[in-house]
Amino acid sequence: MNTGSQPPTEAETTLYSDRWQRLSPIAIIYFAASGIKGAANNLIYLLPAFAVSYSSIKENPGTWLPILAAVIALICIASVLQYLFYSFRLEKSSVEIRYGVFSKKHVNLPFDRIQNVTIEQPLYYRLTNTSCLQLDTAGSAKQEAKIVALPQLFAEQLKQRILLQANAQSEDTQTDDTLGQSFESEDILNTRSMGDLVIHGITNNRVWIILGVLAPLYDDLASFIGAYIESMGFDYQQYFDTQAQPLWQFALAILALAFMFIVSVTLLSILGSIILFYDFKLSKTNGRYIRRSGLFTRQEVTMRLSRLQLIALKQDWLDVILRRVNLELKQNDAGVRNTQGQSTANKILVPSVTVSEALEITEDAFDQNQLAKVEFTPISYRFIFRQLLTWVLPLFAILSTIAISQQNYLGAAYVAVGACVVMIMVWCRWKRWGFASDNEYIYVRKGLFGVDKMCFPKYKVQQTQFIQSKLMKAKQLASVRIILASGSVSIPFIEQKQAAQLLQNTLHEVSFSQRSWM
Amino acid sequence: MPFSNELLSVSALPEPSQIDFEFLDKRFLPMLLVSNSILASVLLVVMSIARFQRFFELPEPLLDVYFPALIVVTVYWLLTCAHAVIATPFKQYCLREHDLHYSSGWVFRKTVSQPISRIQHIELKRGPLERGFGLASLQVFSAGGAMHTFEIPGLDADAAETLRTFVLEHKDTHEHG
Repeated sequence: MNTGSQPPTEAETTLYSDRWQRLSPIAIIYFAASGIKGAANNLIYLLPAFAVSYSSIKENPGTWLPILAAVIALICIASVLQYLFYSFRLEKSSVEIRYGVFSKKHVNLPFDRIQNVTIEQPLYYRLTNTSCLQLDTAGSAKQEAKIVALPQLFAEQLKQRILLQANAQSEDTQTDDTLGQSFESEDILNTRSMGDLVIHGITNNRVWIILGVLAPLYDDLASFIGAYIESMGFDYQQYFDTQAQPLWQFALAILALAFMFIVSVTLLSILGSIILFYDFKLSKTNGRYIRRSGLFTRQEVTMRLSRLQLIALKQDWLDVILRRVNLELKQNDAGVRNTQGQSTANKILVPSVTVSEALEITEDAFDQNQLAKVEFTPISYRFIFRQLLTWVLPLFAILSTIAISQQNYLGAAYVAVGACVVMIMVWCRWKRWGFASDNEYIYVRKGLFGVDKMCFPKYKVQQTQFIQSKLMKAKQLASVRIILASGSVSIPFIEQKQAAQLLQNTLHEVSFSQRSWM
Repeated sequence: MPFSNELLSVSALPEPSQIDFEFLDKRFLPMLLVSNSILASVLLVVMSIARFQRFFELPEPLLDVYFPALIVVTVYWLLTCAHAVIATPFKQYCLREHDLHYSSGWVFRKTVSQPISRIQHIELKRGPLERGFGLASLQVFSAGGAMHTFEIPGLDADAAETLRTFVLEHKDTHEHG
């Protein structure tokens, strides 16, 4: 706790001293943890080797110990080396980081190019009040830097300093005084209670965070559970033996099993949701959104409002019933690797808010936004024909021909039922899809069983596409795809005239508004 | 609120579908044909060498498919050439004051519009064949990502250079980046 109690000025003078400096020694634990994570991820590639040598390992498990010891020792040594070779230097308006044991890397990051600042505090950093500062830059050449262990207070100061610099670049009019004051005033826009997180766990599959951790242990867990159940005198094989059981009992056993499975998955999902979003806070200060959450690893993501590209209100079918919305604030997404969850800061997810809360945040972020009131123009019913003709019916024809030629009439019946389900899904998709626009924004609604609503300002558009087949042209229809820095949005089968006007209007807005997209 | 979308002050500008597009350079189609033919003949030659060499024995099934494979490659070559002949006239581009447009597709027609103010960087791409024919492709990158790179192929090398310079010196490029 010593660093936390230090007066900020002192921390600043020691850390801003323009010379290369080391991290807190606690960083060794961080490097070790990521080393273990990396090793666990690579374990998959070793599985065949384990499988081959399984029997010999079983005979003398002693051979394992030296290997295990060696791996642990390697990770320890590597962490200490990484720590020793990691140094950083702060200058007036940039940060330099040197790291790497064998291949040396030198990153120089000017503050005004930094798009996101993420502060992360893993569990083991809490005792020493340390955090990890991650800096992302925008643009086509994505670059990122992580200052692995900084005193919490200093990380906070550095974050504000970086964001100040970025702000000063774009908003020259603001004086230093107003900027200084604004630190204290942070409006909390939204918080999530435990109940909200439980709902979020039920409606959204957050199992992966648990499953990911447990992945190496699946087999053991399965055999352990099997043995445990048997040891309780429960002979599950008997329940699933169609010979010995009447059919209804068999069906009941399957149902019970499915139910147990769903309940346990849901419980895990709730747990995952709490781990991710515990103590969730979305706040706003000085044109920036800040999201804080996390049970074990506390994460703080800061996004500048001007970087926001698109807001999506996503509802799965269960969300529709429970009247909840997952609100996504998306920013520049181009070239970002696809990671599970939201460890990357390219979007802020506000989990399971009510519809009115979601609209409130949307209106706060996008001025004059009409999402609450707007009426969506449906897309043409010919969208259904297109889906049927291009893939549903041909697939159905092929599959049923195969089934009938094999005299497998039950199979043909399944295919028919499947085709009906797919047609209903196509119908749902058509029913959901719609668009609207006003002078400033474009709104799109889409979905299958759930409903997603999106809105984005026209001036943030990067590129537009106008797509039309010969048949569509004959019916005066066209599809539109609008590309934003956060991804593309498509609106199929709308009237040609509307499509052309929408794009024309958007292109005009982009070129003539002279507003920057980021 | 039904779809309302008054044109602002843009009535002077035509809709993307009514723009006067320019055709690609006349040398683009020959280049495509040559490129397709080179690919097909390389395949044919490699297959024939493998078939008639005496260094190692090919398995029986491979020998059996030699003639069918020749036919498949030839048909493929004819089809790609036919496609090039049919599709090339539909590939058109246009440069307006504030945006670039590229239109392509015979049955499925697609017009991509790229505002100049959203261009992040721009590249001229010239492969060996393109150099031989004095052509170049213009690639334009926006923050929309690599998936949505705006590309005009088959431009005269000098015209491509002029286009590039125009975009780089455009005031929108400087103001937004």
